[in-house]
Amino acid sequence: MRFARLPWLVLTPALIFVFVGVFAPLLMTHDPAVQDYTAILQGPSTAHWLGTDYLGRDLWSRIVGGARTSLVAMAFVLVAALVIGVVIGSVAGYVGGLVETVLISLIDIALALPSLVIALALMGVFSGENFDWLSDYWKMVLALTLAWWANYARMSRAVVVAELQQPYIEAARVMGASHLWIFTRHILPHVLGLVVVYASADAGALVLAIATLSFLGLGVAPPTPEWGQMLVDGMSYIEEYPNLVIIPGLALTAVVVSFNLLGEAFALQKVPRALRGRLLGRKRAERKAEDQARVSVEGQA
Amino acid sequence: MRRMFLRRAGLALLLMLAATALTFALVTAAPGNVAALIAERAAGPGADGEMIARIADELGLNDPLPVRYVRWLGDTFTGDFGVSLRTGKPISEEFAERIPVTATLLAGGGMLALFYSLGLGLWGATSNGRFADRILHGIALIGASTPNFFVAALLVIVFAVGLGWIPSFGLYGWTSWILPCVTIALFPGSVLARVVRVNLQEAMARPFATTGFAKGMNRGEVLVREALPNIAIPYITTFGAQFTLMIIGAIVVERLFGLNGIGAFFIEAIRFRDFVGMQAVLTLFVVFFVSVNLFVDLVAMLVDPRLRRARRA
Repeated sequence: MRFARLPWLVLTPALIFVFVGVFAPLLMTHDPAVQDYTAILQGPSTAHWLGTDYLGRDLWSRIVGGARTSLVAMAFVLVAALVIGVVIGSVAGYVGGLVETVLISLIDIALALPSLVIALALMGVFSGENFDWLSDYWKMVLALTLAWWANYARMSRAVVVAELQQPYIEAARVMGASHLWIFTRHILPHVLGLVVVYASADAGALVLAIATLSFLGLGVAPPTPEWGQMLVDGMSYIEEYPNLVIIPGLALTAVVVSFNLLGEAFALQKVPRALRGRLLGRKRAERKAEDQARVSVEGQA
Repeated sequence: MRRMFLRRAGLALLLMLAATALTFALVTAAPGNVAALIAERAAGPGADGEMIARIADELGLNDPLPVRYVRWLGDTFTGDFGVSLRTGKPISEEFAERIPVTATLLAGGGMLALFYSLGLGLWGATSNGRFADRILHGIALIGASTPNFFVAALLVIVFAVGLGWIPSFGLYGWTSWILPCVTIALFPGSVLARVVRVNLQEAMARPFATTGFAKGMNRGEVLVREALPNIAIPYITTFGAQFTLMIIGAIVVERLFGLNGIGAFFIEAIRFRDFVGMQAVLTLFVVFFVSVNLFVDLVAMLVDPRLRRARRA
């Protein structure tokens, strides 16, 4: 389990994913939404590199388009959840008192249900008439953001509280530094350093969540290519054309494995020792297990 | 010990109340005019303002939100979850039919995850070495990264389509449960196998294991009698967390294999704007998650003599 030598190999799917997502329009050979009834359910050929689906849409272009859909949604959700989480967590940790109690209760409530269940429930709420002005795609981004911020908030608060106890904060205060100065110059860099690393590891879980929502028919609406939705469409033809299921499934799995390995590599090597415990802190038990994994890994090295 | 437990139980209850209040506020107030929705379902698009107003009045939808929450809470405590906007049946009836399906899935998946993780983890620990370590790490990583629905699709391709052993859709006898249960067991099982392996490895390096070897026990005996009890706490806590996450697997699998459980009801409620049904399922989920966590805490306290002693002192 030496990741020091591995990352470039294991990161390849994640890097390809980002590259394909960014340059999707250049890589597509066909319009992923265009249906061609003269070329339905074809195998791979020079015209259609990966074949076509039940509506004659080019599978390669849909895979490429799906990468872009996931990448863009993931980026929006990660950035938004990170900002919301850092703001709420920092306010709770820095201000303290009643504000902290209220915000922590809010975080605890948000963590009482799995993020994906919250996202599903919010998709339900957004289906109401008051939200008709939002497109399905943005409903999904909003729902995932609101389901995803709590972990970042809890992490940010923990870092703020830990940093506030350091002597240099007191020193800065004695020298007459304002709260704003202390927070932005001394505390925020610590918070961001940790949270950004965690976010890069969290990307895999988010790609999975986006695909799961679409799989359940509650994410990206049909003409837009998306891997989870391609997979569920392909299920109807699974007996004769398993490719329609296997190709998007493999793409998705490769990306998630890659991001998860990235997270593991970060957790084991890149993060300052003092903060490592919090990095993995989704569930107490998982965290403990990872801590012990680290002990044994370091013991071997 | 008892005071500790009562405190935890009290906090859990508060969390349940707060979480249901928040979901109630979101699900019943945010989406828009539920009365108009009901009128539309009853009378088609031609529902007039008078009818909508009457329905809102009958259901007490004009009352302030806290009043409605307290009323809803009272109803829920007596087992009355309201009437589904989608099916028109009382939700308690839906639950009576559907909870057994989801419970069977979770029980089957939980048992499989238990056997799979203990088997794999113990195998990794008995064949101590880099090879076993790598295999285990690989299996755990892939098991924890493959989407539920892709696992299910692959299982269907191999066992239902390819080999034709098991039905791939609906419920036809006990074999129908195999693929869904295996699907949802893979993720928690993979995470747990890693927990077993890592904690066993750590325990085997501790002094009590050395003592065991010194007393003349062989590797297997030390593993089972000295090391195994030490993984109980991390195993139980991780199992609890993973067991609650299995509900997501159940939601996916119920849709994929056409099982009429709570997860399927939840998804249908979301798609058909059945806000009453959504609130009922979310309440069920909150109660389930919070009580599993509470139960896990309690079991951990009961199992670990160190925790017990610490409380008593």
